[in-house]
Amino acid sequence: MLNIDGFAYNNRLRHVHPLEKAGFAMITMFLCLGFSLPVISYLVIILMAAAIVGCAGIPLKIYLKLMSLPFTFLLIGALTIAVSVTTQGVDAGWLAGITVSGITVGLTYNGLATAGGLFCKSLGAVSCLYFLSLTTPAVEMTAVMRKLKIPSLFIELTDLVYRFIFVMLETADDIYISQSSRWGYASLKTSMKSLGQMTAALFVKALHRSRMLFIALSSRGYTGQINVLAPEYTVSVNNIILIAVIESTLLITAVLLEVGKIG
Amino acid sequence: MADYILEAENLNYAYPDGTQALRNLCIQIPKGRKTAVLGSNGAGKSTLFLHFNGILKPQSGTVRFDGKEIRYDRKPLLELRKNVGIVFQDPDSQLFSASVYQEISFGPLNLGLPEQTVRDRVEQAMTATGINELKDKPTHMLSYGQKKRVTIADILAMEPQALICDEPTAWLDPKYAKQTVQLFNEISRNGTTIILSTHDVNLAYSWADYIVILSDGRVIGEGTPDSIFTNDDLIRGADLEKPWLVDVYEILAERGCIAANMPLPRDKEDLLKLMDCHDKSGGEQENYDYSTVGNARRERNKLSARCKGL
Ligand SMILES: Nc1ncnc2c1ncn2[C@@H]1O[C@H](COP(=O)(O)OP(=O)(O)O)[C@@H](O)[C@H]1O
Ligand SMILES: [Mg+2]
Repeated sequence: MLNIDGFAYNNRLRHVHPLEKAGFAMITMFLCLGFSLPVISYLVIILMAAAIVGCAGIPLKIYLKLMSLPFTFLLIGALTIAVSVTTQGVDAGWLAGITVSGITVGLTYNGLATAGGLFCKSLGAVSCLYFLSLTTPAVEMTAVMRKLKIPSLFIELTDLVYRFIFVMLETADDIYISQSSRWGYASLKTSMKSLGQMTAALFVKALHRSRMLFIALSSRGYTGQINVLAPEYTVSVNNIILIAVIESTLLITAVLLEVGKIG
Repeated sequence: MADYILEAENLNYAYPDGTQALRNLCIQIPKGRKTAVLGSNGAGKSTLFLHFNGILKPQSGTVRFDGKEIRYDRKPLLELRKNVGIVFQDPDSQLFSASVYQEISFGPLNLGLPEQTVRDRVEQAMTATGINELKDKPTHMLSYGQKKRVTIADILAMEPQALICDEPTAWLDPKYAKQTVQLFNEISRNGTTIILSTHDVNLAYSWADYIVILSDGRVIGEGTPDSIFTNDDLIRGADLEKPWLVDVYEILAERGCIAANMPLPRDKEDLLKLMDCHDKSGGEQENYDYSTVGNARRERNKLSARCKGL
């Protein structure tokens, strides 16, 4: 998670308008989810891999590692869909199966196809989200949300939570170092005790910090709403045309394939 | 126009847990000058500052800004906070946004300024504090010194008449501390009153025009740096030390290496000039002036020669 955050601030697409990146990721994701042909999912996966590794300059190794995180999770999910259970017995649609006392458990062609389709679709959608989170820092995402007129309470919370995750982590790190330098994690028993104490300390610190933050905000004229300005980004006509071309190509391909399948 | 920008009279404040933080405190901060509030830990410096900004309300006594008593209603409070800005000691408690730019824009936006003015002010504040190249960095990736600069830019962007800084040089390395002090000098040049708290007597001595010493919630001494730091009882009573310059000067004067009853040297160069001048006139200078500059290297040689002779 932290690694993703680091890349978000340091990639070749950092200075592209966040709305353009968000638009690209979201439209592609909807296309991927909207069309059921696996080919579209493959196309989206390849497109996003090219955008992330090729355009944004995220190392391929890192990207593969990130993709492998949902991979296993999705595989397990897809397997449960692939497996069918019936009391009707095995017919031509079955690939393999075992029957025990009238109940058949096994794989059907249809089930396998659904699972495969779902798997690719999810992976495609995930790669769209990865594109967004690897190229766009959280603060710029909230700037986009502000532009899209999402309720300010939600945006303020996102901003504050994001900021204080790091403050918390730093504090936890300091406490951990100070504990372990005094043998706080030498055995299982002391580890449990140290962890408990750290949690309590973190809670107290969080409370203290929120009070200090409120004071600091108030001293700058806070009256219940956090108003901020995002830096101005330049809209690139080229990028918008490029995105439009890619998305419409994807859409036309999808429609043609879909029509071809029905016809 | 009052001569004092901030005044407190018979201020008493106790925290909810019963700690009496301020006791009948009286203070007057001269307008447009550089004031240092000195005091050991727990003397009440931070508590006093929170009163200047209307965050804390005195249990008894009054606080005045620009000659007028502070009113604790919404409107006048906002007006006060526009004019008196505080840079807090811990930057992690002040920085609420992960974006440096958003962070700095918060204060001026609250003043109800138009967007373009706010953007101009954010740029100016970033230039003044030298953090332009941090604009695209998230606050959690900044060093302590950089965070400190962002918190100063936060307040500068509001263009307050008085800028209060709570322990600005604590935890800073000497280089950053020096840059920060220079920054304050620049800010002070356009008429902004600067108040900072510290327990670094050397910093207070060479930087401030006016010094207030706080101890146990009371003001136990105030005045020019010269008058404060030649008062041995006062320094001891506040658990402080003498600045090394005053110390060295007094020792040298005692040993006759330097003329006594001179204006105290404010920095190392002043001290060297004093010694140099003493040499030339054979110890009989009347109208002494620090601007009689000699060759820097020669002065240094003389100093080392003198030190050997001590
Ligand atoms: N939030 C608080 N609750 C209770 N006591 C406090 C609080 N903040 C400060 N104090 C106490 O008030 C006194 C003055 O503190 P402070 O103004 O922070 O001193 P300084 O800034 O000079 O170190 C100290 O004794 C301190 O322990
Ligand atoms: Mg303090």
